[in-house]
Amino acid sequence: MMLPLWSSASAPEVAPAASSSAQALIATLGRPAPARTAFAEARFMQILDRPLVVSGELAWLGGDQLQRRVDRPDQETAIIANGEVTQQRAGKTPRHFSLNRAPQLQVLLDSFVALLSGDAGRLQQAFDVRYTGVASGSWTLVLTPRDAAVAKSIASITIDGNGTQSRCMRMQEADGDLAIDLLGPLAATMPAQPTRESLQLLCQGVH
Amino acid sequence: MWLLVLAGLGWMVSQRLKISTDLRSFMPAPTTPDQRLLMEQVGDGPGSRLLLLAISGGHATVKDASSDAQLAALSQSLAGALRKDPRYTQVLNGSFDLAALDSSLLPYRYLLSPTLDTQPLDEAYLSDQLQQRLDDLSSPAASLLKGLLPRDPTLQMLKLAERWTPAKAPETRDGVWFSPQHEALLLVQTRAAGFDPDAQQRAIDGIQHAFHALPGNAAAQLEFSGPGYFSVVVGTQTRNQANWIGRISSVGFIVLMLLAYRSLSSLLLSALPIASAALAGIAVLTLVFPEVHGITLAFGFTLLGVAQEYPIRVLSHRRAGEDAVQSVRALWPLLLTAIASACIAYLAFYASGVNGLKQLAVFTIVGLLVAGFSTRYLLSHLLPVHVRDVADRPGLAPARAFVDRLPRPRWIPVAVALLIVLMLAVAPGSFWQNNLAALTPLPQDMLLRDARLREALGAPDVRYLLVLQAPTEQGVLALSEQLQPKLDALVARRAVDALELPSLYLPSIALQRVRQQKLPDHSTLQRELTLALQGLPFHADLFQPFLDDVETARSLTPLTPERYAQTPLGQRLAAMLVQRDGHWLGLGTVSGVHDVAALQALGENSNGSVRLLDLKAASESLVAVYRTRILQALLVASMLLVLTIALALRSLQRAWHVLAPMTLATFLVLAVERVAGIEISLFHLVALILAGGLGLHYALFFERDTGDLAEQRRTLHATIVCVLSALLVFGMLGWATIPVLRAIGLTVSLGVAFHFCLSILMAPHAAHRSSDPAAKD
Repeated sequence: MMLPLWSSASAPEVAPAASSSAQALIATLGRPAPARTAFAEARFMQILDRPLVVSGELAWLGGDQLQRRVDRPDQETAIIANGEVTQQRAGKTPRHFSLNRAPQLQVLLDSFVALLSGDAGRLQQAFDVRYTGVASGSWTLVLTPRDAAVAKSIASITIDGNGTQSRCMRMQEADGDLAIDLLGPLAATMPAQPTRESLQLLCQGVH
Repeated sequence: MWLLVLAGLGWMVSQRLKISTDLRSFMPAPTTPDQRLLMEQVGDGPGSRLLLLAISGGHATVKDASSDAQLAALSQSLAGALRKDPRYTQVLNGSFDLAALDSSLLPYRYLLSPTLDTQPLDEAYLSDQLQQRLDDLSSPAASLLKGLLPRDPTLQMLKLAERWTPAKAPETRDGVWFSPQHEALLLVQTRAAGFDPDAQQRAIDGIQHAFHALPGNAAAQLEFSGPGYFSVVVGTQTRNQANWIGRISSVGFIVLMLLAYRSLSSLLLSALPIASAALAGIAVLTLVFPEVHGITLAFGFTLLGVAQEYPIRVLSHRRAGEDAVQSVRALWPLLLTAIASACIAYLAFYASGVNGLKQLAVFTIVGLLVAGFSTRYLLSHLLPVHVRDVADRPGLAPARAFVDRLPRPRWIPVAVALLIVLMLAVAPGSFWQNNLAALTPLPQDMLLRDARLREALGAPDVRYLLVLQAPTEQGVLALSEQLQPKLDALVARRAVDALELPSLYLPSIALQRVRQQKLPDHSTLQRELTLALQGLPFHADLFQPFLDDVETARSLTPLTPERYAQTPLGQRLAAMLVQRDGHWLGLGTVSGVHDVAALQALGENSNGSVRLLDLKAASESLVAVYRTRILQALLVASMLLVLTIALALRSLQRAWHVLAPMTLATFLVLAVERVAGIEISLFHLVALILAGGLGLHYALFFERDTGDLAEQRRTLHATIVCVLSALLVFGMLGWATIPVLRAIGLTVSLGVAFHFCLSILMAPHAAHRSSDPAAKD
């Protein structure tokens, strides 16, 4: 008699419980602006035989401002502010375009700023959030864009982390292209010739 | 019976009447090529068909990223809706839309883009370009370019798109143009001519309708600017003011008539000649002209006000018990003189050669004749048998006595003439108002908003056009290509912000052929590409669509303006290439002129094939020519008038007593307005003519030699009723805030007052006659 009652009463709490642990996690990820982190990105594209690798620094400047500075192989800085992207490359005139036309950046902004500001509400506004954690302290957040226009080009973002540290960000594009960013100390471990599989293992902390 | 005829006429009019609203038919016929171009540009030029739109949030001053995004979404959906509507030839909101380009046209990029003029499609160039694309792919812009790459690795399409966006583009936020005041900006080019208020109204309604159908429009506001919008605003404002003024003065007029004649039937009957006049006037117009202009009707009804005098005279001059037909017959010679002279004055309009004024002349002359003759032959039979003689009206006799006691010094004409000369000499400012725009003024805040939006959008100046002339279309395009480097130099040294020539959109066939010949054949390009791809991670067969496009481009028939006209940018070019008298003109738009002389210098040594057209100067010269013609016509009309009056009165001296006060009063009005700082416009001239017609009547009747005291009292009564009704109607117009209405109202009111006073003071005959019998009594 007691058991079914107990289970029926607690069943609805399962989902909020999961979400609240995601919220608790996200809250621990917050950093005061400006927050900077090294990154190394490998982009696997169908039109290319091998991935493009760049590395540099991602910085949240506060508010909705994000800076993506690439140091290797060539210097390039992209700043997102006020819905506009300004792209600057050494020796060239800066290029401006709308954030609307770069959905990759839109989701980068939404996820990165929400994570760095520890704002779970914002994250859940832009994405459907799925959280899995294991006892050892490593966790994975899978973010699926809620905006249909964004979802048309970005299928999902997966963030892997350990404790209060994000290790990795994988952006799966709808057309099959994939960008994997190694974050923080992990950035230095980017292999010279990365493959999807080797990076996936790195992200999940399997050595 | 009369009413039946009127009803029949009314029916015919309603069947045939087609009202046009194109303001250009009220402008003079252009004579020089520049003036003709001006007339077309005023209505059809690319600048005049441009509507500037601004969408702002409820709290536009608060800088808020999310409201910007909403405004941007509204801008996008509005542009999307309007692009499907045939009423708009071009809709720009800052978003780059590759879909606007027909895919079959894409290979033409190699013929349209200037890149390959200096840059062969060889290994070095391709290799550099591919390396840049690789950089692009690792940058945030990757998703923008990914899809374009296989077909267009050198991004020629983007280069063309950049070339075709307005040179001084506003700030882009969330993908669309924004002003610094956080309004989403759009440029809409209408198919309808700018100075056709009705068509513009429909275009604006269409935009409003599309906007209100959008979700989330309630929180936002849509504002308009631009010549077409202004023509709608001015039209509506004028109509509104004319309407309320008309209503008030109609009520006043009815009250005045009831007070003056104390008979409802007289009032109703006296309306018949005017109604007949108006209907007959319109009926004749519909027979003679295919379209009747709205302004003709508005002015026409104003000018017909003179005809109201005819029934008034008949009513006032009727003695108690006198048969109406007898009474009218006695007045008829004088009335006929008045009608004939007014018709002669209005003939001046016909001679002006302006279509709208010709219509006005036909309307008023027919109207006056009908009003006069219907008063004489129809009204006289309908008037009630028993009337009160207005001569016995209390207060009228003392008034007449007062008028008669007034001194009639002989020096009055000389003094007035001297005064006029003096006032004209010291009057400030320029005598003539040459600026057409000054007559259709807009609220200051509207002008400021227009300037602000125009600045933000980098919309072309409506004042200057660079005109290129050649025997053929291709000649114009070639000339435009030759000129381009010089213009680039001018832009570089900031003589002008931006210049757009037709060749920017479409190069000449010759140039397209040259570019075609520079394109490598399939195997050559394949070889160069393979070399360029060495060491790069691109898939080997990725660029097959590129190879195909270049191969297609090699054998394309060059784009002609006809073919180009079917593309989304076709209207833009069509507006810049016009055929005229067997040759072709290219119209280059100019934005932000800082150094006019440098632009004019472009035309030197070109034998007239290149010139800078100053639309403002052309319009001013047009107005000046127009005025000269009206003045000449007036001169002829006044000579005819002198002749008519002299013949009718059979005495030069009597003619002098009629014409001198009229002439002096006319010039006095002119002088007073000039001293008050008013510059004289065409509308003042029209109003002066109307006042002159009224003044002529006063003078004719005051001068009339009857020797009968009662009759003189009746004359005074009739004249006072006429003066009061004219002052009522036109005095009200003088309160209008619209300069056209105010010009007419003020001028006619002043005129009526001066004419009345001077015709009394300069009518010595009446004074002698009326004082002599009084002394004998």
